[in-house]
This record gives sequence, structure tokens and C-alpha cells, in this order.
Amino acid sequence: MRITPVGATISPSRRGDGAVGLLFALPHLILFGTFLLAPVIYGIYISLHRWHILAKEHPLIGLANYSAALTDDIFWVALRNTVYFVVLVVPLGNLVSLLLALGLASLRRGATFYKIVYYLPVIISIAVVAVLWRWIYNTEIGLLNLYLGSVVNWLRSIGLPLRPFEPLPWLANPSWVMPSIALLTIWWTAGANMVLYLAGLGNIPDDYYEAAAIDGASPWQRFWAVTWPLLRPTTLFCLVFSVLGAFQVFGQSYVLFTAVSGGSQSGPARSGLTLALYMYLQGFRQYEIGYGTAIAYLLFAIVLILTVIQFRLLERRDASSKV
Amino acid sequence: MNRWLQRSQIWLHIPMMLVAVLFIAPLLWMISTSLKAPDDIISGLGTMQWIPKPITTENFRNVLGKIEEFPIWRWTFNSVFVSLAVTFLVLTVDALAAFAYSRLRWAGRDRIFGMLVATMLVPGQVLLIPLYLLIRKLGIFDTYAALILPASASAFGVFLLRQFFLTIPMELEEAARLDGCGPLGILRHVILPLSKPALATLGIFTFMGTWNAFEGPLLFTDSAAMRTLPVGITIFQGRYNIEYGPMMAAAALAAIPVTIAFLLFQRHIIKGISLTGLAGR
Repeated sequence: MRITPVGATISPSRRGDGAVGLLFALPHLILFGTFLLAPVIYGIYISLHRWHILAKEHPLIGLANYSAALTDDIFWVALRNTVYFVVLVVPLGNLVSLLLALGLASLRRGATFYKIVYYLPVIISIAVVAVLWRWIYNTEIGLLNLYLGSVVNWLRSIGLPLRPFEPLPWLANPSWVMPSIALLTIWWTAGANMVLYLAGLGNIPDDYYEAAAIDGASPWQRFWAVTWPLLRPTTLFCLVFSVLGAFQVFGQSYVLFTAVSGGSQSGPARSGLTLALYMYLQGFRQYEIGYGTAIAYLLFAIVLILTVIQFRLLERRDASSKV
Repeated sequence: MNRWLQRSQIWLHIPMMLVAVLFIAPLLWMISTSLKAPDDIISGLGTMQWIPKPITTENFRNVLGKIEEFPIWRWTFNSVFVSLAVTFLVLTVDALAAFAYSRLRWAGRDRIFGMLVATMLVPGQVLLIPLYLLIRKLGIFDTYAALILPASASAFGVFLLRQFFLTIPMELEEAARLDGCGPLGILRHVILPLSKPALATLGIFTFMGTWNAFEGPLLFTDSAAMRTLPVGITIFQGRYNIEYGPMMAAAALAAIPVTIAFLLFQRHIIKGISLTGLAGR
């Protein structure tokens, strides 16, 4: 990320504005310090204590919450589910976004219409999205199974040797839960990255494509020789923020499973339990906020390490491509 | 024929239209279900019927009639009020700060700004439990302050506006300075009028982000009267577990205002994201 854009105009020659500068920054700094910086630091403090929300005392226990998490089977279930979700959503979601953007970029007319339609789900609250998809995923009378059923029946009627349709247990079978959540998430978020990819495509000069066309490159070759390498900064940006967002998955599982039961459910056989949901259940259902905060910081650590790795990978590729 | 096929791009339009149908179908299904009679939904009579017959407003009346238990107008008011308040606060506070970080010179400026940028990678979930305790301690739990203040603390808007302010030529500012403008005058008369696109983008995204916010309102309020629409929906769902008609009516009520706002401002929104690299949340 570049902090100062090209052509920036911070004049070094001007005299200092002294306290006036701090005065202008102060209202934001107060909000930021109180509701962002302080909680980040306070969180570390909380995570180092055995802290039940109702208990009068909360003794310092060092890193015990962290080591407890690492030996907690349920923590590992949550981590595995979250990683599974990230592995499903990030590559597939980015592929969908990129394909949609490539389609839009090649259109001569009507791009605005498609852009609006593809982007529409992005603006809707996860609460609404999850409530809606719980209805669509209903095993008996959900839209998805109804249509899949009639497609299968139609294929059978024209003579294909298919077995009769069995309704798919989208949210009822543990091994279906994460793929189902991933599918609704891709529907919900694909438009956001699509717009970024579209902007990235718009920044590639037409000359490159013309030169490639003169050399007789096929559209396929043009994509791999021109589009893909020149789109790399956009791709990296989208991947980094997709990973960051996907690791924090919470609302989907909460609305689909926890809120429905009004208790502490996380899907059949905990198949919808994510790290963020586990933090919530520990902190706000078991009232073990010390432990809950430790889980949140482990999530933070994982995300931070992944982000650094992704940036390193990009830098190395950039360096090698310049040679 | 062949040339027409190429020129009309029909082979591109077909898959894109199919995807468009897939993208819009769930939302249409939500509206369709919300207008169906409960029996049509459950018995399977209305199941694959996209246009309800008969169309009924029963579900909406059902939702709006239980004001005591599900104060949906209050939730709507809360969502509107909180979103507007956060947007106003963010625009004011962030514009002042961005001006300080881009146009004024003061000790510690760049170090503090570096710290602001560094916190942008902190996942929101890390803050939830400490914020909850802090809000309890400050005595603002279950108040509008709990919904508004934490939502306005992000460094993102400052970063965004600063980047934009830096592209405004210094000469304009010098001219205003010679005319006797102080820093506040320069911000008001030079910088802000030239930054309308950036302010609009930040404003729209702050509004939509706050309107749809879920974790904060869920944890920082607990009385029915202080909930916002997204959290209200989940309360509703806890009760109307399998009654999809009223549930879809409630979901539609929450989704429609923000959808209309999006359709009105879609040009700015989509352009704004490409300008700023803002992914929407």
C-alpha cells in the first residue's frame, strides 16, 4: 500500500502550524483512542486473565488462556471449519469476481445493468442474507431443492439414467454446512471484488492488447501474457482483503444456527462453528471473556501472518519479474 | 448473420444474463414469499410460483401488527438515526483530521498517522469483547452512544480523505492564504468544495456499512427498543423459526430502503469503489 500518492503536495518549506494541527486531528484521535486503540490494548490485558464476566476477581494467569485454546478440541474444530471456509470462499469467490469483471470489460453495451445486478447482494445486511438463504436452503420446500428436483426429473423424463432426486441436506448434514455457507457468501460478496477487478482491468493500456493482437495472440494467450501479469496488484489486493474478511466469518453461522435456537448452537455437530463464533459463544454465552479474547487474538495473529506472507510473495514476484 | 452475431455479442450476453438471473433470483424469491399466503408457502402450493396468487399483505400486517413484541418501526428509526449520525460524525471528524494529516505541519504528525494506518489491519472481532467492557464501564451500554461512537472510530475515512486532499494543488491554498484565510477557512472554502467525490464516497459507504452493521448492535445493546433492523431480524427469526412468510416480509422491510438508496446512488458507489479500492465492508 502506498501512503503518499504520486504528485503529492506536502510543502516542506511552509512554517509549522504548531498546535493547530493537533487541534484539527483531536476529535478523531479521541474517538480513535477510546474506541479502537484502547480496546486493542485492553484486549491483550483481558486475555492474560482468568476473567468470568460476573466474577469479582480476575486473576492474572499469563498465557494460560492461549495454551488452553491450543489444547481445546473445540478450538481446533472452529479453526478447521474457518480454514475450510477460507479455502472454499477465497479462490472460488475471486474466480467468480474475475470472470464477471472480464465479461463486463468485454461488453460493448449493457455493462451498467449487469454491474448493478451483480453488485446488489453486496449492499444487503448479512442478517437479511442469512435469513433469506436459510429459506432457500430448506430441505423440503426450499427453492434450491425444488429446482434441482425438477431439473433431475426432467432429465429422467428425457431418458437420462439418473436416480430419483433426493433432497440435498444443505444445512442439515455436517459435511454440507460449510460449502453451503461458502456458496451464500460468494453470492453475497462476489460483486465487491468484481468492481475492483474491473477497475484493475481498466488500468491496463489498450496498446498492450493491440500489440498482442498484431503478434497474432489468441484471446487465451492475450489473457495470460497481458491481463494476468498486469492485473497482479489488483489480484493481490483482493486476495489479501478476502482472506482478512473470510477469516472473520461470523454472521452467517450466527444467524443460521445460533440465533435460530436462541442458545449456543453452531450447526449440526458444530459444523458451522467458526473462530469468531467460538469467541462469541465463549465470551457472551459462557461469559469467559478472558478465554474469548484470547481466541480473538489468535485469530488476529493468524490473519496477520497470512497477510505478511501474501505481501512477501508479491514482493518476490515483482522483483523477479523486473530482472 | 455471422457479423451480427459478433457485433451483438450475443454469446457473451447469454451467460451474463444467466448469471444475472441467478444473482437476482434469491431477492425476488424473498419478495415473492413475503406476498404469499402462509398456507401457500407451507403446503407447497405456492412453492415454485414466482408471482403469488393471490397477492396478500398478510405477512407484512403480521410483522407490523406485533409492535409490542417486535417494534419494527422503532428498529427502522434506530437504523436510520444511527446511520445518519455515524455518517455525519465520520465526515466531520475525519475531514478535520485528514486536513491536519495532509495540509498542516505539527510535531508527531507522521508518526501518529502511521499508527492509524497500522490499525486498519486489526480484525473487528478483536475489539468486540474489550469494547463491550469499556461501554459497560462508560455507562453507555444499550444507548445510542454505544451504537454511534465505536462505529465512528475507524481510521479508514481519515486515510481515504487524506489521500484525496493530497492531490489538490497547493497553489489554490496559497491564494486563499494570501486572501487572509486561516486553516479552517482553507478547509471550508478550498479543500471541501474540491473533495465532493471523496466525501460522497465516504458518506455513502459509512451509511451503508452502519445500516448493515451486525456484531456491534448485537453486543452493545440488549433492550428491544435499542436494536437496529439487522439484529431485529434475527430476534424475529428466533420466534418465527419456520414461518417463512412473516420472516421474508421482515427481511424485505430491512433490505428495501438500502436497495433503493443503492439504485439511486449506484453510479457514485461503483465509481467510488474503483477510485478508492474500498471493497464495501
